[in-house]
Amino acid sequence: MLGYVIQRLLQAALVMLAMSALVFAGVYAIGNPIDVLISPDATQDIRAEAIRRYGLDLPLWQQYLAFLGRLLRGDFGQSFVFGMPVLDLILSRLPATLELALAAVLIGTLLGVPLGIHAGYRPDSALSRAIMAVSVLGFSVPTFWVGLILILTFAVNLDWLPAGDRGPTLEVFGVGWSFLTLEGLSFLLLPALNLSLFKLAMMIRLSRAGTREAMLTDTVKFARAAGLSDLTILRRHVLRLISIPIVTVFGLELGSTLAFAVVTETIFSWPGVGKLIIDSITSLDRPVMVAYLVLVAFLFVTINLVVDLSYALLDPRLRRGGAAA
Amino acid sequence: MTAPLLEVEGLRTHFLTRAGVAKAVDGVSFVLQPGEILGLVGESGSGKSVTGFSLIGLVDPPGRIVGGSIRFAGQELVGLPAEQMRALRGRRIAMVFQDPQATLNPVLTIGTQMALALQAHDRVSDRAAAERAATMLTRVGIPDAAARLGNYPHEFSGGMRQRVAIAMALLNGPELIIADEPTTALDVSIQAQILHEMKALAAESGTALIWISHDLATVSALAHRVLVMYAGRIVESGPVGAVLRAPLHPYTRGLLDSLPAMTEPGRRLRQIPGTAPSLLALPPGCPFAPRCPRADAACTAPPPRVDHAERRALCHHPLEAAA
Repeated sequence: MLGYVIQRLLQAALVMLAMSALVFAGVYAIGNPIDVLISPDATQDIRAEAIRRYGLDLPLWQQYLAFLGRLLRGDFGQSFVFGMPVLDLILSRLPATLELALAAVLIGTLLGVPLGIHAGYRPDSALSRAIMAVSVLGFSVPTFWVGLILILTFAVNLDWLPAGDRGPTLEVFGVGWSFLTLEGLSFLLLPALNLSLFKLAMMIRLSRAGTREAMLTDTVKFARAAGLSDLTILRRHVLRLISIPIVTVFGLELGSTLAFAVVTETIFSWPGVGKLIIDSITSLDRPVMVAYLVLVAFLFVTINLVVDLSYALLDPRLRRGGAAA
Repeated sequence: MTAPLLEVEGLRTHFLTRAGVAKAVDGVSFVLQPGEILGLVGESGSGKSVTGFSLIGLVDPPGRIVGGSIRFAGQELVGLPAEQMRALRGRRIAMVFQDPQATLNPVLTIGTQMALALQAHDRVSDRAAAERAATMLTRVGIPDAAARLGNYPHEFSGGMRQRVAIAMALLNGPELIIADEPTTALDVSIQAQILHEMKALAAESGTALIWISHDLATVSALAHRVLVMYAGRIVESGPVGAVLRAPLHPYTRGLLDSLPAMTEPGRRLRQIPGTAPSLLALPPGCPFAPRCPRADAACTAPPPRVDHAERRALCHHPLEAAA
């Protein structure tokens, strides 16, 4: 088990290295930040001085090594636009996205898995057909449209919830969180619901397929022959049997929502990293883009590692180096 | 004579499929005494497993019990409300399946699975459940049982897994255990052990046993009486010794002749010609007639019942029973 963890950590480090090189090369291939940074009527001297100051006169590989060196010391550089350390900038926005993404994936999972299990357990009931209709909608209706309809309905017409922005936050560990106050939650609810719809649809499909398969197995038949009630069978047997794909998708969805909640953040003016990255792309704020993408890669690698390790918790057959009897 | 434990009368379980009605069980009747071991023999698709699942109320759709009666200790089971049937399952009628690899949940410890089986019927604390489970595992011959409760099914060998499944079936002290080919997936040496122990356990606890198998040899070693099924019907029944010594029905004769032990070494194994008929398109009259060496024109009519001492058969041309 320990050997497995070490092997996975090394793999993760390699992925991070490759990702940082790709991101660095990719971002430096687009546009020249100097054009954005200094005014067009600056003298040639000022221009040359700026290029030297940002190290842009060096060859690409030297720039990359310098960047990597700073990275290892936790220095992501200064934002061209905001004039502050990139790390501080991203970290000031990350909690907003983190709680939004987590809320969305949790809502999707906690609602989607029980609904999906029901739909798989009684595939022909009217409720199950309604559940499947919801999942088709969740897959096919575009997020931005649902966001606008949610705002129109709950914020404009009914006036129950705020239409956007983050509202008040409560400071814990030096970071502001919305989900700790009732009022903060009222701001979080609509964007989280908006983002969760797709995840809900996905979790319903996944749990339904798994449950339908599990219900036909001899394991379930044997449990029934022992007199277990259907509810106990679903809760204790089926839920455990279908948990691995659910945890996998949970991790993937959490990662991609953290990285790409841009549309919802824009519609609800949610001050998260998604908006930050779009702004930094339009202003060619290179250090922010690079740091953001490296951070996203780091989040994905970490989440995947946690998911892989949780497999061993969920399936005892994977615990001994994958050797099943 | 004591009151029978189980009286099955004209049981009919049909599968209503798109292609038509498959009469998997079509008019099965038999009686089982407390503590008796009954062998239920037939080829694949003869309806023996469906009979077993009908008794315990676990026929999967599109299958349905469409007629007949199952009286268990005086109580009618056909049409019993689902919750009452559930309460009966595991507690008074238990079942053991063919493949222990598939029946035990791979991601739960056997201690958890046994506790669930107990707690389905009684309010039992986890600790008390673990004690009862360990006691039962010891009884079925699993050494160091208390320590093994925390193990997962894949940490047991095939034979040990089936012992665990048998222990789960015995856990609530049922009056009847339905065993659906429980030794088929095991090594021959393990088969003999399990067979021997099942017989001992049944005798010790006074549990009646319905042993479903395609293998006449195991049934002859175990059962008191045998039922031979063909195409959803019982074609022959009687005490196991008498039936195997001199079967009345040509089908039973065919099954016996096809046992490898009945053939001289070096000779080709004998087999029953043809295959079991599709349940969707049974021939009129005797369903075995197309494969039967004794069949003639009379066999297109439903076969009559032949009684011979304690034995019965459904046949127009029964074989002579030896005295």
